Amino acid sequence: MAEYSAADFAPLKVQSHSQTLSRPSLSYWQDAWIRLKANRRALTSLYLVIGLLVFTLLGPLIWRVNPASQDLDQISAPPGRDRGALVVPEYTPWEGPTTQATELQLAAPPTSQAVRLQWAPLPNAHGHRVYRNLYPVGPERAFGIPLAEFFDNSTLYFEDRLDLRPGRYYYSVVALNDNGRPTTEAQTITVDVRRATSISDAIKQGIIPVDAEVEVGDVLQVALHPLGTDYLGRDMLARLMAGARVSLFIGIFAPFLYVLFGVVYGSVAGFLGGKIDQLMMRFADFVVALPFLLFMILFKIAFGIGPGESGVFPMLVAMILLLWPASARLVRGQILQIREQGYVEASKLLGAKSTYLIFRHMLPNTLGVVLVTLTFEIPRAIFTEAFLSFIGMGVAPPTPSWGSMSNEGIKTMLNTPHELIFPALMISITVLAFNLLGDGLRDALDARMRNTE
Amino acid sequence: MLSPKGWGILGADGGAMSDSHKALIDHDDNFTRSAGKQLAVYAVYAVLILAAVVYLLSLAAGHTGNNGNDMAVDIENNAITIALREEPPQLDPGRSTDASSGVVLAHVFEGLINYDEEAQLTPGVAERWEIREDGATFWLRDNARWSDGKVVTAQDFVFAWRRVVDPATAAEYAFFLYPIKNGEEINRGELPKEMLGVRAVNDRQLEVEFSRPTPYFDKLVAWYTYLPVREDFYNSRNGRFGADADELLYNGPYMITEWVHSSSMLWKKNPYYWSDARGFVDEIRTAYITNDDNAKLNLFKDSKIVETHLSSPMLPDAMAEKWQIDRAMDGTVFFFEFNHRPGRITSNLNFRKALLFAQESSELVYKALKEASYLPAVSLFPVWIEGVNGKFREEYPPPNHHMDLEKARHYLALAKEELGLDEFPPIVMLSGDQPASMVSATYYQELFRDRLGLEIRIDTQIFKQRLQKMTAGDFDIVLAGWGPDYDDALTYGDLFASWNLQNRGRYKSDEMDALIKKAQTTLDKVDRVATFGKIQQLVYDDAVILPMYERGWTYVVNPQVKGIRRRVVGPEVDYNFARIDVSSD
Repeated sequence: MAEYSAADFAPLKVQSHSQTLSRPSLSYWQDAWIRLKANRRALTSLYLVIGLLVFTLLGPLIWRVNPASQDLDQISAPPGRDRGALVVPEYTPWEGPTTQATELQLAAPPTSQAVRLQWAPLPNAHGHRVYRNLYPVGPERAFGIPLAEFFDNSTLYFEDRLDLRPGRYYYSVVALNDNGRPTTEAQTITVDVRRATSISDAIKQGIIPVDAEVEVGDVLQVALHPLGTDYLGRDMLARLMAGARVSLFIGIFAPFLYVLFGVVYGSVAGFLGGKIDQLMMRFADFVVALPFLLFMILFKIAFGIGPGESGVFPMLVAMILLLWPASARLVRGQILQIREQGYVEASKLLGAKSTYLIFRHMLPNTLGVVLVTLTFEIPRAIFTEAFLSFIGMGVAPPTPSWGSMSNEGIKTMLNTPHELIFPALMISITVLAFNLLGDGLRDALDARMRNTE
Repeated sequence: MLSPKGWGILGADGGAMSDSHKALIDHDDNFTRSAGKQLAVYAVYAVLILAAVVYLLSLAAGHTGNNGNDMAVDIENNAITIALREEPPQLDPGRSTDASSGVVLAHVFEGLINYDEEAQLTPGVAERWEIREDGATFWLRDNARWSDGKVVTAQDFVFAWRRVVDPATAAEYAFFLYPIKNGEEINRGELPKEMLGVRAVNDRQLEVEFSRPTPYFDKLVAWYTYLPVREDFYNSRNGRFGADADELLYNGPYMITEWVHSSSMLWKKNPYYWSDARGFVDEIRTAYITNDDNAKLNLFKDSKIVETHLSSPMLPDAMAEKWQIDRAMDGTVFFFEFNHRPGRITSNLNFRKALLFAQESSELVYKALKEASYLPAVSLFPVWIEGVNGKFREEYPPPNHHMDLEKARHYLALAKEELGLDEFPPIVMLSGDQPASMVSATYYQELFRDRLGLEIRIDTQIFKQRLQKMTAGDFDIVLAGWGPDYDDALTYGDLFASWNLQNRGRYKSDEMDALIKKAQTTLDKVDRVATFGKIQQLVYDDAVILPMYERGWTYVVNPQVKGIRRRVVGPEVDYNFARIDVSSD
């Protein structure tokens, strides 16, 4: 028999063997974050959204080009084009050639500033018409665009300044009969147009410093437009950045406000229940029935938004006032459900007050739904803004927004597609990114999909 | 990107789907994959069904509508197919105001005087005429007939003209008849319509009394508001006159035999028409009514219509197609109309001059608008206006205007001083919703900001709204256009008379009023044209307007059809002389 010492009868220290955590404890948010990280699609979208915010907020600090300034030497220029430009003297109006021409010929070297042509009268001509073509004139006698016509034989020169771009043109003069109709007499020349700029233009656009030593005949690099220019020679990149401000401001601010309002409204209705709930939800139904576009116009008038002023504020107000019911309904449904849960009953029995119940149990449990709604509402708002600006209800010129830029770009879609593609791409990417992010968030925040490992 | 699985047909769709799968969470990969597959299969079905439906529809369409009649040129039936820009609201000549009605009316009616193929005045219903200081006489031909065979008489004109000025008709263009004695008073309801200064001496002779000398009356009667209407026919229609094809009686080369509202029209040759100098094709099928230039371009490409207008973005395409592109002036001049009402900043001459010298219209047209058929405007009077012997602008060249920034800033400083302003408030620029107006407005907004530091607010409005704001004077600058009503310089010259209601900016100067009165009443051609020269100079010196551009058309015509004319005055497009000529092919 062994002897017992007093030490043997001392109480054991409390030891917990029952619950050994092999892994650190995870909060709801940590768990959600892990699941979001596992979802590569959502993660990419998240990076895209962050990238968009950087583009919008930091972009204009780096790319300091005024989105309204017009570079008339580079109109509708696609991105990535050769920028070399010959320095030529200041443009002065042309009073006509000094020498007699023997046939259709150039009176001065052809540049994008002007192409100066002169010719000798064609046989039997009662006047002449000047054409310009992008393609060689073949047997079809298709001379291209008629640029000008002269109904007498005394004007035998013409200066073309219409939207000249570097490249090859085919100019023709066609004789006119005494009724001013074209005849079969024609002459054609091939002209290779070079891009040109004058020193004062170059200084004005900041390509060269004021005291630069540049002479006529030098070659300069004209202003860089990484994404090209639009129909008035405005920098597309700068406009996309400026447009993003409007689009993302509306896109993030408006949903944030009306979802917030919807959450408060919905939770009050759901929590109070009964007749008040009925009343509040019928009011929400009523608001759903109000036509958005009509109210947008009404607000524009009611706020005294004058002509030529931005319609962004009434758009914001109309969105906040009219688009909250969806999130209110959603939250109300959630609250109704949570209210009947056992832990809420228990909490109530233990004497919890309403505020405690709301802030401890109800709201945190609806937060996931709310966040998901928010990410889905953002693309919707961006789209609404784009649509309204597209139909001219949104921003006032010269402020760009992606919608109004698309509207301008669509007119020249066939010739200069970059004017439409870039803003449309921005809208698409943004909307897609927010949608996919919302998708990922919904999966990540869904407690039922919580990791079981 | 093609997925190795079975739904490879849908390249992009299938590929994207399988791609995104890899990114998905592993544990329900199978489920999503099968769901994705299902979706892809559905997509394939959807596309196939859609294709089948489209194919069947096109087959059905081919069986119902296509009898070879829908080609642009139908040589067998000597017919051509055209598109109209808009549906005419109605075709009562006295009440019509729009361009589309003008086109139709020019083919189915004929006035006293008409335009020939080269846009020169030519006898219409009137064989000959005489215009005096106090009136005019027209002698009507006896073989001009209505489409029911009856002869067109002088009474038909008397009835039509009285009806136009009758306030009960509420004709918007009644003012065209104000040069006729008592016309204005009758239209205001002060005199009975029988007092109008027009009278049928007999069936063949029409006598007109003027309220003021109107040397351009011959050009005026070529306008459609002066077309004849036969009284017994009009009364038999119970107020539905002009509403439909059979509610009209025609006296032009063509008559409307079919009018399917907002869809199509058919014009057939009028068997009773007197002259063989117009109406060469037997049938003109207005098969399309559309305002969409791109739709019309596609119709032309498919040889469904004989003629279409090309805007500048379509030109590279047209050049690639090797079409013979033609051009014509439209007649309209576009300009800034300043608001001259007292209290407006734009009522200050130096301010207006500052704007004028800060710009040059050629830059607008060549760089911003880029329309090959537009001309930079340099005057109130367009380039095609006739002078004494040649063109007006050759006899009286417009002021040689060039941009001069020094001058512009100088004038702006003067204006600032005169107006006692520290800074200019924003200027409201009223603009239409047409693309050309909007581009011009944006262009000038930046130009004035950049060169003069002015803030411009653009107020874009639809036509009716803009007109209302123009009339109310609710603007500083309005981008306005003025098209000719008749082929005479006065149609532009009297625009800024203080009594002219079309003078929306309420410009008022005694010098201008005196010049216009002189131009209206002088019969001596040389003196009259000289007066227009003075008006042109005054408009520039006083910076009444800031000219922007003269509108034109680039258009293309089916090479098998000759003689289609675009007009400065009269119908926009004239098919009266169109004839099918396949010899050149």
